[in-house]
Amino acid sequence: MAHRRLQATRQLNRLMTKHYLAARHFHPMRPIAYVSSGAPVEILRTMGFLPVYPENYTALCGARKASLSLCQTAEAQGYSPDLCSYARTHLGAIADPSAAPMGGLPRPDLILCCNNICGTILKWFQTVSRLYDVPLFVLDTPYVKGKLKEETINYVNTQLEKLIQALEKNFPRRYREARLRKVVALSNEATALWRDIRYLCTARPSPLNAPDLFVNMAPMVVLRGTAAAVRYYRALKTEVEERVARGIGAVPVERYRLLWDNIAIWYELFRFHRYFERYDACFVVDTYTGAWSGLVECDDPIRGLACTYTPILLNIGFAQRAERMIDLIEAFQVDGFVMHANRSCKPYSLGQYAIQRLVSERTGVPGLIVEADMCDPRAYSESQLKTRIQAFMETLSMRDSPYVGPRHL
Amino acid sequence: MYCHGVDIGASAVKVILISTARGVVDQATASSGYGARDTARRLVAETLSRQKLSPADVRYTIATGYGRVSFAEANAEVSEISCLAQGARHLCPDAHTVIDIGGQDSKAIRLLPNGTVANFALNDKCAAGTGRFLEVMAHILGVDLEALSHLSQQATSPVTISSTCTVFAESEVISHISAGESREDIIAGLHRAIVDRVLGMAARVGLAPLVVLTGGVANDDGLVQALSSRAGLDISVPESPEYVCALGAALIAAARSQ
Repeated sequence: MAHRRLQATRQLNRLMTKHYLAARHFHPMRPIAYVSSGAPVEILRTMGFLPVYPENYTALCGARKASLSLCQTAEAQGYSPDLCSYARTHLGAIADPSAAPMGGLPRPDLILCCNNICGTILKWFQTVSRLYDVPLFVLDTPYVKGKLKEETINYVNTQLEKLIQALEKNFPRRYREARLRKVVALSNEATALWRDIRYLCTARPSPLNAPDLFVNMAPMVVLRGTAAAVRYYRALKTEVEERVARGIGAVPVERYRLLWDNIAIWYELFRFHRYFERYDACFVVDTYTGAWSGLVECDDPIRGLACTYTPILLNIGFAQRAERMIDLIEAFQVDGFVMHANRSCKPYSLGQYAIQRLVSERTGVPGLIVEADMCDPRAYSESQLKTRIQAFMETLSMRDSPYVGPRHL
Repeated sequence: MYCHGVDIGASAVKVILISTARGVVDQATASSGYGARDTARRLVAETLSRQKLSPADVRYTIATGYGRVSFAEANAEVSEISCLAQGARHLCPDAHTVIDIGGQDSKAIRLLPNGTVANFALNDKCAAGTGRFLEVMAHILGVDLEALSHLSQQATSPVTISSTCTVFAESEVISHISAGESREDIIAGLHRAIVDRVLGMAARVGLAPLVVLTGGVANDDGLVQALSSRAGLDISVPESPEYVCALGAALIAAARSQ
């Protein structure tokens, strides 16, 4: 059996379909907000906006193998092939909705962009805001090197307060702190459940493999702050706990436990990880799906949002990222790690060689860097990747039994 | 007992026959061409007939190289990285880094003290910095591949060639030819371009002495000198550097057959 499917997956498909349908049909009066993946969506939910995530949508286009033609459409319009493939996929879907899954995303009424994930998102969303002629709200989160400073928190906090004022001014929507507390509580509950689910993979064999984590992270991003997300993760947690209790692993044989770094290769999600299954390897943990695991302090929820959303994975220094990886390698008893040098995502991929060296030196665990792209299959070279994967898995197996050759020859 | 190591590379097939008692007893190579698998079969048969052996005398065969999966006669296939590490360590027990420049790709491998692989890097999606690159350039310069080495050493002021792409580098070389630059200076420039690219990749794994250079391109002394002077390190080149990967395959075959 190549890949053990989760029962919850069917429920997940229904949930996500409902989300995209809701955006298009169910709530004609609710203003639609495009949101970047790392933005504090709780504020929008509190005020009754309907958040839609272009990044989640473009990942979905990748998984449905629709991203290449959409990227090409964007390139034909003059966007550089070096631009992030999420941005190109989205811009392509706007230009030609008929070629896009679900006919593209519904038209937004506003856009909220937080630059804690990258700089590209700012220009991408700026372009989209121009194309639809809708307001763009920008939340600037300074890069955190070392400890999160008081002045940084104050700076982001002030912006969040101003954002609320601006939203109230531009839309007939009211902000209520009591409502924000409720939304943040739901957000925290789902986050805690997701964290528990991920840590259930410290079990041997691991109940989940990387594709399971990638697929199941969608509600964490898209439905954060809703009761639906909490319900989903409760059901998923029960199923995963059951797997652990019965000793069911995600892969048929688990001999090597691996860690994945960077965004998934969406268009090859299952096939790519199956190469590793051949060598009895399972990705028991990754850095990407853990990027949505910060809890928000509720005493002063706006300040809490500033504290949680500023020092996220892509907005901290390399040394801290390496520390996080080392912690995961220890907690999940990882034998090797694989870093996806993702042509599209510069902030995630920059520094990977330095991080690889640091992590390997500190833990003695070897790392492999594979080059590809999250949504542009032209950057994916199967035979080259297979050679690297094979060599890496041989390296892991030979470490157990070093062979130096017959001495007398 | 005999074992075969069969390296089906992008440019050439290399076969090594070892006896566990006597070491390497025979070797053979031929251009890969279209039917690399048939070439491999022919070379395997050749080594056997020269040594007056039959296929039954061979206990274990390991295939490696780009065509490794297609060689059904092998007992197992192993990646070039593992084979190169084995082969290089066997020939140079002090080796800590292996740089291999083959027909279509280049590799840098860092070894652990016990001879196993600590880390490795392969060239990206591009043939610049490989044997194929030199073949293309030798062709447009109207010289034999073998002549590149001594011509490079006669250069007085090597030209600068961007090392990003074989196809673009070819146009660059043509521009240099039109500008009246000497062959020697262009060839030395090409060597530098390859060396800079390979060293950039090797820096990812770290260059720990002793550095061993393998692959067919290691036969080009001009390139070895350029590599050594740019890296500021002694570079060790084993005899028959193109066979190191096949030798590693044969050694792993010998170990597995026991």
